[in-house]
Amino acid sequence: MKGKQSLIVLICMLLAFVLVSCSQNPQQERGEKKVRVVASLFPLYDFARQVGKEKAEVVLLIPPGAEPHSFEPRPGDILKIHEADIFLFTGKAMEPWIEEILKGINGQTPIVVDSGKGIITAGEGSAGHEHGNDDPHIWLDFSNAEKMVDAILDGFVRAGPSNREFYIKNAEAYKQQLQSLDKKYYNSLATCNKRILIHGGHFAFGYLARRYNLQYLTAYQGYAPNAEPTPQNLIELMKKLRSNSLRFVFYEELVMPRLAETIARETGAGLLMLNGAHNVTQEELEKGVTFISLMEQNLENLKRGLECQGI
Amino acid sequence: MTDMDILSALQYAFVKRAIIAGSFIAIVCSLIGVLLVLRRLSLIGDGLAHVTFGSVAVGLLLRQHPLSVAIPIVIVSSIGILKLMKKAKIYGDAAIGIVSSLGIAVGILVASVSGGFNIDLFSFLFGNILSITDTEVYTSIGLSAVVLFMIVFFYNEHLSAAFDEEFARVSGIRTERINMILVMLTGITVVLTMKVVGIMLTSSLLILPAVTALQFSRSFKGTMVISACAAVTSVITGIALSFLLNLPTGATIVLINFMFFAGAFLYRHMTQRGLH
Amino acid sequence: MSGDIITVKHLHFRYNSIEVLSDISFGIQAGDYIGIVGPNGSGKTTLIRLILGLNTPANSTVSIFGKSPAAFTEWYRIGYLPQKLSFLNPYFPATVHEVVSLGLFSKKKFPRRLQKSDQMKIDEALRLMDITDIKNTLIGELSGGQQQRVLVARALVNEPELLILDEPTTAIDPEARDHFYHTLQDLNLRKNVTIILVTHDSATIGKYASKLLYIDKKVIFFGSFDDFCTSEHMTTYFGEFAQHLICHRHD
Repeated sequence: MKGKQSLIVLICMLLAFVLVSCSQNPQQERGEKKVRVVASLFPLYDFARQVGKEKAEVVLLIPPGAEPHSFEPRPGDILKIHEADIFLFTGKAMEPWIEEILKGINGQTPIVVDSGKGIITAGEGSAGHEHGNDDPHIWLDFSNAEKMVDAILDGFVRAGPSNREFYIKNAEAYKQQLQSLDKKYYNSLATCNKRILIHGGHFAFGYLARRYNLQYLTAYQGYAPNAEPTPQNLIELMKKLRSNSLRFVFYEELVMPRLAETIARETGAGLLMLNGAHNVTQEELEKGVTFISLMEQNLENLKRGLECQGI
Repeated sequence: MTDMDILSALQYAFVKRAIIAGSFIAIVCSLIGVLLVLRRLSLIGDGLAHVTFGSVAVGLLLRQHPLSVAIPIVIVSSIGILKLMKKAKIYGDAAIGIVSSLGIAVGILVASVSGGFNIDLFSFLFGNILSITDTEVYTSIGLSAVVLFMIVFFYNEHLSAAFDEEFARVSGIRTERINMILVMLTGITVVLTMKVVGIMLTSSLLILPAVTALQFSRSFKGTMVISACAAVTSVITGIALSFLLNLPTGATIVLINFMFFAGAFLYRHMTQRGLH
Repeated sequence: MSGDIITVKHLHFRYNSIEVLSDISFGIQAGDYIGIVGPNGSGKTTLIRLILGLNTPANSTVSIFGKSPAAFTEWYRIGYLPQKLSFLNPYFPATVHEVVSLGLFSKKKFPRRLQKSDQMKIDEALRLMDITDIKNTLIGELSGGQQQRVLVARALVNEPELLILDEPTTAIDPEARDHFYHTLQDLNLRKNVTIILVTHDSATIGKYASKLLYIDKKVIFFGSFDDFCTSEHMTTYFGEFAQHLICHRHD
């Protein structure tokens, strides 16, 4: 009957309207469209937030709690990257899956920022460990972090030249923060009773240790936490701990601190976290941690663990 | 530092724990492994590991202690594998495959839906033989006691059911129950063992010592004994060798297990030339 | 009949919606030596499985020693030799001794353990089937005929009142076959062991069995051998030559 038919058509149109309006980007109603940024790692995510502020909508690709060295992007992730205006990654060593994705990106969007480009990566840890590949954890040297902020700034400017001044101002302000963080670290760690960092995790803090003149020893030989330690390795760490009368072992974020606990148990040492800021937990994300807040927490732990007298 | 001798390594508690817990786990896995291999359920270890992955994800999502969620789900899944074999009329490997892919899929789905966790799932699931805690040592010993009891006291039921299930039924043995006991034991063993020594060691200890024993055993009892001995020996020599040669311990143990198998295989072929 | 140790009444069984057995009725008395014969696919093995409770018929019309298979618990009274086809894994690492000992566990309760007295029973069963010299050999290393003898020994070892053997001589060569049937006959006559023997070998069974059950999805014939040989109905069914072949040996 005609009445029923037009009712159905009306309902369908209503449904379609609801669906379409729900999938609209709500920002579009507000006028200016936010720059969509996808970051592959937490530090980049935070840096981008600091540079773009309210003009950017930044998304972290890795789900909270996930260990990034073994991350593999899913179709939804690749879609997110393609739909973004700017895509930030750390480097091919940190994100080996980048190669394939880069191949799929042709055209102007997204603007791809290799934030580690031009930063010299180190091949050796400060303790003399011979590592074949380059250490990808570049962001843990704050002077590198500044360079990464510059690269990200460049991406923002290319994506939205009209807001150039805005972005530059934010970037400069943030770099200042990084510089004072660096200074703080330098001062605090200059006069410590102990200068050896025993880490029950993977080799992430090479750059940081070298910058502040600390010896750095890890349980794992590799740059990722999925390697297996050897008994001799662990015993070396325990011996070093004992012979230097160190009272603390450091453990890393996100993974179960089993090896650190083993070392601690054997030597009677205490445990302190050193957060490499690769990624954050669900809780931390909700609390709104930032790169700098994590590094400041690290500094407190370092001061305690290395028995430093500084402020 | 590289010319340390083994005896000095024994002064370290973590080495002692590795040896003790490792040996008990070796015994448990190798004995269950004989029964699994003979019933063509060898990959159930891997399969149930996938289920554990899924159920731990669910546990973390529900903010419960993951193991308290994982163990019941794994037990249900292992029974599910049995039921599938019976009702869907498929062999063990297919049934395991079904349950296993379901486990992984659930885990991935839950991980996506939940938005994230506070700890890396994989790091939660997989232990390492060098980082065993005192609690885990006790757990391993407790688990061994349960498994040994179930196997030793039901030894002839297990043997009869594994050899000829219908004859076993006709002799009054409740084969359904025995099968359930076997898969449930396997489930619990997989969950707990994975957490203590990781999945690689768990799977290989469930399969390799049994297969080695089958190469040259002369009786069923002999098979069980050789399997357990091979497993324990591999753990102890693995720890010692990984120490001496500065190698990762878990992988060394697996390699030694494989070498035992290769040796047994060659031995059998050399002494049986012309017989088949 | 009250003397029956096994009663089957109007048994029907379908499998995958095919009627495998139709209206089977018969009774077996203590001391019978009965051959169950019939062509391939006639349902003989299925009938055995239904009697033993390995499959369930639509209606409960089977009784063993007065009970239904599901309710029956005195399994030590029965010795069973399954069809060789169901013998799964020839690489199973069990010795002849271990396999034969499996037949003893029907009489035991938890924990089922072998006692010293069991040793004698095992030795006797091995002797009876002439496999004493290979008792420590792995079952996978034996010939087909030897394997079958081992499984028979497993069925005999507990000295059961009732022996059910499904195709026990398919792998055994003709000379050994006669010896085998003799052994069974001896058990039947001396110890009053009831024997149910499913076989293709309708010619040989005639020499030893006292009763015959001929099945081809239905009961074609059930009764004593003499009746079979003198029945005109059977002559019509089989043809004179076939009937003669079966009966000729029975004198």
